[in-house]
Amino acid sequence: MPSLIPGYRRDLEIRRYPFYIYVFVPLAALVLQAWLPRILGRFAYMDLPLLVTIYFALNRRSPIHGTLLGAALGMAQDGLTQGAIGVHGIANTVVGFLAASIGIRIVVENNVIRMVLNFAFTLLSSAIMLFVIQVMLGLGWQSNWIDEVIRAAGNGVIGLVLFPLLDRTQIRD
Amino acid sequence: MESFLSRYRNLIVLLAALLVQVIGLAVQVRRPVPVAANIPGGPAVHVTRDGRGVLLIRLWSASLVMPFERAMHGSSEGLNWLWNNYVDLRHTRDENKELKQTIDRLRLEQAELREDALQGQRLQDLVKFKENYAYQTIAAQVIGTSGSSQSHVIYIDKGSADSLAPDMAVITSDGIVGKVRDVFPHSAQVLLINDQTSGAGVILETTRIRGILRGNSAGQPQVINILADQRIQPGEHVLTAGGDQIFPRGLAVGVVERVAKDPERGSFINVIVKPAANLQHLDEVLVITSLDAHLSSQQQADLATSEELKGAEAAADAARKKAAEEMEERLPGLKDPNAPAAAATTPTKIGPDGKPVPAPPVPPATPKPLPALHPDRFSPGAGGGAGSGSDAVTGADASDSSTDDSGTEKPAAPKPQPKSAPAKPNGSQPASKPAPKTPQLSGRVQ
Repeated sequence: MPSLIPGYRRDLEIRRYPFYIYVFVPLAALVLQAWLPRILGRFAYMDLPLLVTIYFALNRRSPIHGTLLGAALGMAQDGLTQGAIGVHGIANTVVGFLAASIGIRIVVENNVIRMVLNFAFTLLSSAIMLFVIQVMLGLGWQSNWIDEVIRAAGNGVIGLVLFPLLDRTQIRD
Repeated sequence: MESFLSRYRNLIVLLAALLVQVIGLAVQVRRPVPVAANIPGGPAVHVTRDGRGVLLIRLWSASLVMPFERAMHGSSEGLNWLWNNYVDLRHTRDENKELKQTIDRLRLEQAELREDALQGQRLQDLVKFKENYAYQTIAAQVIGTSGSSQSHVIYIDKGSADSLAPDMAVITSDGIVGKVRDVFPHSAQVLLINDQTSGAGVILETTRIRGILRGNSAGQPQVINILADQRIQPGEHVLTAGGDQIFPRGLAVGVVERVAKDPERGSFINVIVKPAANLQHLDEVLVITSLDAHLSSQQQADLATSEELKGAEAAADAARKKAAEEMEERLPGLKDPNAPAAAATTPTKIGPDGKPVPAPPVPPATPKPLPALHPDRFSPGAGGGAGSGSDAVTGADASDSSTDDSGTEKPAAPKPQPKSAPAKPNGSQPASKPAPKTPQLSGRVQ
């Protein structure tokens, strides 16, 4: 476990990215999330806006940043659905806050840790959405947990490819 | 206070963000509006009517994402075109040969289908069923989805600039797809029939049971609130009922996949429907912009061609009828002896006082013998045949038949009549004047 605790200053520093990355990457995630299901059909087991939220929250290590980014991306996701706006927003807000809080405490450079975190945060997001849809809105849940687990696994695998690519865009001293 | 804010700044921001969204949710969620009389005798079904306005966040999201979706769709189409027209040209000659053979086969099939189309046109004239054929539609490309498994919606590349409006029906050639929900300037959101918040009036084709179609939690369309009925079997076709003012009547919805009991109400069942349209892979759809019948120029041209062919068919029928009549004339035994042909052609006699003399009553004529091919003096009707007593007719008959110019038609008179033409000795007599058609012969049942 010592390897998970940040022992160097380099591990605790805030990663910075060019401004266009903050604009382009979330936008690309939204566009691809809306476009890929046309090709993959019901096999589109992914949640790219959530992955982007987790990545920036983990690496910026700022809970406020993660919270606001999660809220914005989540509400944009809701804007593309016919449902109430705020379902994805609340889920991504909580995930962004928690991811940033965890990013402060543990080292998130390891791919296995990233995959586990992506898997866990995706499941958490599904659980929050279930709570909002069923308890707060009183609507039916349109999915089953096997699909949610597969989606979480898909996010974990995609994160293995996406996160190193995004790491290359960070500003280095 | 300042230390409190700075210490719990992260938590305060989180709570504020959550609070704003929860308030937003509370504002958006409205009480469902009960829609009565969904099913006669059944309970009212509560549905949430769509709001007319578009939320600003939704408009922003769509405006942000849809241009990129449109660009990606266009670029993918371009790449497909590039690949198909320049790269993937192997085996083109073989394919061309096969295609030519296919064309020849299709031409033969087309000839058969044309006959079927003519028959269909006649039936169409009978029932005057225009709704199933012509609506004002706009073709649209599917450019995106909601990206969420909880929301079964798609985005199309036509919007208010193309005269789209909410609640317009969206269909494919296979069946219905959904309805337009939110309309943006150059795109529109379509709510699919397998979404939980959708609704469409449907009817089962065989059992004529009506119900409301909506999606279930597994994303399958189902007909809800149906009283348990043993007649409903898998494979039965489901059609639109037309009562929802969105979908025209009679469009294909799908087939019954299975019947499940309503978990909340035991006496009701849910009929799970396999949609006719492939909702998972939609590329092009048609948006019905108006339910009024409208024939496009192509359809009108097709209709004119069909009418022309129908006229040609009628001309062929007339030619066949004429040939049958000529054959009938050559075979006089087939003529109806009771036909009023002779009476119709008999000129009215004028009496000495200048008034028309009524013709004496005509007794029923006996069938006439067939004319001899080579007449001689013994033949009936030959000149000087005084002994042909069996062929002698009454004076009235003689006077009537004398009006006929034909020698073959005229029987021998017992005494010479000045105006009766003498019978020709040879068989090359002119053909008799065709009698007017009797209704039995001329009328052809179409």
